[in-house]
Amino acid sequence: MERVHSKEEEKKNMITTSITWASVGLLNAYAFGFSLVIGLLGGALFGAATGFRVSRRPPKMRFPWYLFRQIMNAVTFFVLTSAIYAYFLDETLNQSQKFWATIPPMLGIIVLIITVGRAIASLDELQRRIQTEAIALAFAGTAIFVGVYALFQFAGLDEVNIGVVFIVMALMWLLTKMWTMWKYR
Amino acid sequence: MKNRLKSLRAEQGWSQAQLGERLDVSRQTINAIERGKYDPSLPLAFKIAKLFDYKIEDVFIPDEPDT
Repeated sequence: MERVHSKEEEKKNMITTSITWASVGLLNAYAFGFSLVIGLLGGALFGAATGFRVSRRPPKMRFPWYLFRQIMNAVTFFVLTSAIYAYFLDETLNQSQKFWATIPPMLGIIVLIITVGRAIASLDELQRRIQTEAIALAFAGTAIFVGVYALFQFAGLDEVNIGVVFIVMALMWLLTKMWTMWKYR
Repeated sequence: MKNRLKSLRAEQGWSQAQLGERLDVSRQTINAIERGKYDPSLPLAFKIAKLFDYKIEDVFIPDEPDT
């Protein structure tokens, strides 16, 4: 990601991250039952601070800023479609209607994956290699986690929500990326 | 594989970031190539050699095979 040279880019980044985090705040407010206004404002403020920080001190992985904003927009879309899904599930719908309600977040996931894929494709050859190695290691690590957890489950441990697998995979991606970046330093 | 990238860059008085901009790669990539942690792709190696007006084998020196 190139360093911000203009206030204009910084402003755009702050607005985009504000909207993204406002939507995350909104979803959390709805899910945990606190004030929607607090969720919205708290998220927007946190987002603005994040946008400011990222613009001033960009991470080493260099995405062009427009792709960074596209990822943020994709996250917003995913969060909002998930909020729609959560709202519909709370309504008294029949089984077939519930299936239809799963379509919006599915679209959100697809948009998110395409955007992240485009961002990775925009990197230079070493950074792409780092990302590819990190994703491969994260995939293998998650497979080990799921396998080991399954063994524990047979031994009487509680069932785990499938969402946890994605969180584990994301964390492993982060860790393995840090490791591969360190390897090529 | 060894290379002369660091000395060639120093001759020109460029920073790693400036060389990265000229080659359209990140500073991290230049750093990894200079330190021998990463061997560039053939297109990038040719681009580097062309930028310094050298033949590719004058910039990149393959390791001696074990005897």
